[in-house]
Amino acid sequence: MSASSNMNWDRRNVLRAAMGLAAAGGLAACGSNTGRGSGGSGDGLVQYFHAYGEAGVEQAVKRYAKDYKDADVTTQWITGNNYEQKLFAALLTKNAPDVFEFHPQIQLVKSGQVADLTDIIEPVKDDFNQADIKSHTVDGKIYGVRMIDDPQFLFYRPSLFKKAGVEVPTTLEELIEAADKLTTSKVKGIFLGNDLTSIDRPLIWSAGADTLTADNKPAFNTDAVAEGLKQLRGLFTSGNLLLDAPADSWDPSAFIQGLTAIQWCGMWAMPAMQKALGDDIGIFPFPKVGSAGRQSVYNGGWSMFVNAKSKNVEAAKEYVKWLWIDQKKYQEDFATSYGFHIPPRTSLAQSASKLKSGLPAEGVKLFNEFGHFDNIGWTQAMIAAFWDVIANTIRKDGDPKAQLDACEKKVNAELKKLFG
Amino acid sequence: MSTTTTRGVAQPAPAKVSRPRPRRGLRASSTFNFWLFTGPFLIGLVIFVFVPIGWSIWLSFFEARFTVTPSEFVGFDNYKQILTDTNFRNSLVTFTVFAAFIVPATWALSLGLALLVNRLRFMRAFFRSVFFLPTAVSYVAAALIWKMSIFNGVRFGLANTVLGWFGVDNIAWLANPDPPWYWLVIVTVRLWLQSGFYMILFIAALQNIPRELYEAASIDGAKPGWQTFRHITLPQLRATSTAVILLLLVAAYQAFDEFFNLLGKATWGQPPLVELYKMALGQNQNYGAGSAGAVVLTLLICVVTLLQGKIMGFGRGEESK
Amino acid sequence: MTTTAPDITKATKPAKAKRGGGVMGSTGLYIATGVAALLFLIPFYLIVRNALMTDPEITGETWKWFPTSIQWGNITEPFDDVTVDFAQSLWNSVVVAVLHTAGILLICSMAGYGLARIPYKHANKVFYAVLVTLMVPTAVTFVPSFVLVSSLGWVDSYRGLIIPGLFSGFTCFLFRQYFLGFPKELEEAARVDGLGYWGAYWRIVVPNSLNFFAAIATITFINGWNAFLWPLVIGQDPSAWTVQVALSSYMTNQTVNYHLIFMATAISILPLIFVFLFLQRWLVQGIAQTGIKG
Repeated sequence: MSASSNMNWDRRNVLRAAMGLAAAGGLAACGSNTGRGSGGSGDGLVQYFHAYGEAGVEQAVKRYAKDYKDADVTTQWITGNNYEQKLFAALLTKNAPDVFEFHPQIQLVKSGQVADLTDIIEPVKDDFNQADIKSHTVDGKIYGVRMIDDPQFLFYRPSLFKKAGVEVPTTLEELIEAADKLTTSKVKGIFLGNDLTSIDRPLIWSAGADTLTADNKPAFNTDAVAEGLKQLRGLFTSGNLLLDAPADSWDPSAFIQGLTAIQWCGMWAMPAMQKALGDDIGIFPFPKVGSAGRQSVYNGGWSMFVNAKSKNVEAAKEYVKWLWIDQKKYQEDFATSYGFHIPPRTSLAQSASKLKSGLPAEGVKLFNEFGHFDNIGWTQAMIAAFWDVIANTIRKDGDPKAQLDACEKKVNAELKKLFG
Repeated sequence: MSTTTTRGVAQPAPAKVSRPRPRRGLRASSTFNFWLFTGPFLIGLVIFVFVPIGWSIWLSFFEARFTVTPSEFVGFDNYKQILTDTNFRNSLVTFTVFAAFIVPATWALSLGLALLVNRLRFMRAFFRSVFFLPTAVSYVAAALIWKMSIFNGVRFGLANTVLGWFGVDNIAWLANPDPPWYWLVIVTVRLWLQSGFYMILFIAALQNIPRELYEAASIDGAKPGWQTFRHITLPQLRATSTAVILLLLVAAYQAFDEFFNLLGKATWGQPPLVELYKMALGQNQNYGAGSAGAVVLTLLICVVTLLQGKIMGFGRGEESK
Repeated sequence: MTTTAPDITKATKPAKAKRGGGVMGSTGLYIATGVAALLFLIPFYLIVRNALMTDPEITGETWKWFPTSIQWGNITEPFDDVTVDFAQSLWNSVVVAVLHTAGILLICSMAGYGLARIPYKHANKVFYAVLVTLMVPTAVTFVPSFVLVSSLGWVDSYRGLIIPGLFSGFTCFLFRQYFLGFPKELEEAARVDGLGYWGAYWRIVVPNSLNFFAAIATITFINGWNAFLWPLVIGQDPSAWTVQVALSSYMTNQTVNYHLIFMATAISILPLIFVFLFLQRWLVQGIAQTGIKG
């Protein structure tokens, strides 16, 4: 049906068109179904991935899926900022994915959204990084398979450090001082992301605190964290912090374009940085905050989950087992051929040749020495509450202690809903 | 709004009527015809608009986290939560501030452009096109241009480049809320996108002002310029102005895209829809509280619209149809 | 739009208020308009500039107003991208925007006419029911709508992209206001000649309202083309993406590719500019007749 046949004011056509539309099936005849059929049913599986920024990852994921013989796997490659909203909207419908990647968060378990994967992981449990097993375990059951670990730390340009006579900082004071010395009219000292939310957990850990205690009580509301927030406020207003960069800190663009001398980013960006800057790259952990703190690295990452409400839970589990447990070749390819990630399987992490020397090896070292993993009880709602603290105390001149208190209240309300 | 003028509509003269065929019976019944004409629309409206609205209202009385088919009835708890939520109340303040900026600014700019364009003798269509062109740009694209090329905080942003000529340091337009430069970014993007459309409304209205009024005024000795504008043009545009202000208010209250795309994870400058989005879709997935907020907002906008209608005479004569 | 009736309203354009002083006044006028126009064109200039530059030039230390050498090769780049089927997304947008516009014009104009002109004792109640929908922000009923449409199995289909958006209370409202002001004499003549409501509508009312239809068509087309959130969730498979969704996907590629993003933006805006340049003179005349006036 072309538009003009609709717009031709011939009475008969108009009548026909009106009836067609009124029946709400009028377009069915002409608007062909452009994608797959009613997804989520039959033999096909649907998997959701957020868009990895590095070139080639999408093709790789589709290549693995194609190689799987027991089911027809369709990949939905969902672009950046929209991943959560699309995933969660889809999970409410019968078009929901059977398999999706996300971070371990307990509300997915509590709401019965993700299936228990203990039986497929148990046989190889010892080969996984134990921290990754722990962060996916609730009441003794394991709910997701870790695909990659992504350590995040600070990248710096040794040549600029040398020129400005700056040593690699180990405390927040030194970092702020270094940023001041490194700032010139064209290059800012440091970039921590446009809204500074990506250093939320590193700040807590480096101050010697934690998100939650082992028995799920808030543990982030300490004087050292408040002091750290105050120091960062100073950095924010100093003019040495890069702000409003066109790309955020997960993207190495600002660093590569020479807009900043230090940037918070993840190990995934190493290949892109090396391509642009060669050997002029160094890394160091988030510096110590206050006297009782310790440097920290955030071991983020992505995990595979099976939708417990899918019609094909068993088939989906089979697929996850095949790809993320059995196919070590693909796991290594996924972790090291595009961006750099650390495979959560100990055997792979030790054998992956690309991670054995140079900058990536240093990244692995920081990961092992200073790394902190996700806490499954620290949910999106709590993360958002802490982001509000960052916005109100670093970007705005709010009182850190009062803001942390308000945040603790929100987190407690959330914990009460989750754990009673 | 229904005291619609017939001026400007086609004059009755050469209408096209061809081969009338007399018919009687059902087809002459006005009730049947009413449903024949409105039926398709109303069926769709019920399915795609009223069902979701009803669903939202239903959700607002349930504990609906991570689900839209909840079973735990909680009465007015969600309403209690939303009405005591400081973020939600702040969002109403944000909306008020935003509306106080954007409504008069758009009104003045679009009227100004309309007056300019309307007085041109040459290249009128060209300039009209230039001002209307931004209407064709999506919020996605506009936010991209504003964020990446005009108001980015680094050396290759246009705004900072221009300021740099005068020795001003790079300004973080969006990241730093003090001073609140982000309003400049948000207001300019919306002004750019929507002024052209309202300009067209004003041009249309200006063309409908009878020329005789100006002629009579000039015979009476009124000077062209401010006097005629004040005493003839403005009063004649009253109806259009009222409609434009109402449309602008509704648009401001529905504002979402530019705030969502430009401000990111801030705690300021969050209008109601962004706040509700965060509650229902974003992080919390609390569809119950989100829906309750939606109901509260809808009631609020109904009251405001009715009040505005009473004050400004919009919708007068609706009953006397 | 295929116009089958001569545009009889064109001749009756009301007198323009031409007035104002001599050469000085008009020079000032043109300067003021010119400056305003330049400001309005800046974003367009930036799109074109960035689209035709290399990335190092865009992000360089000194601002360049024009590319040192114009990168014509950038034009084909969005179409060569393997990750996004840009041509398909353009085509989807064309189909969606055209059918969206056609459907809205048909359904909402008929409803507006029925509400405005056909006597029925409950017509007012129906009209208020339509008015209420204007007050409810769509973003709020978003999730229930999506679940509903998805349960119809319309995800990833033109149906899902188009049909739910056809029932616009606002457009219906505009049509009603317009038809309230449509000269009764015209219709009555037709009725005397034995045409029913249906005949009078299609033979008299519509052919004499093409200006207004064109005005609504322009606005509806623009909205259909620029819609983002709905196409984003409905178009799960890239083959069902509209151009806005494709555009947003460029922004998440690592190491931002400026010239690609801006070239894609330029290409996404171009069709609208043509549509609008073609339709805009009807737009002004059409709006002059809308009754957007108290």
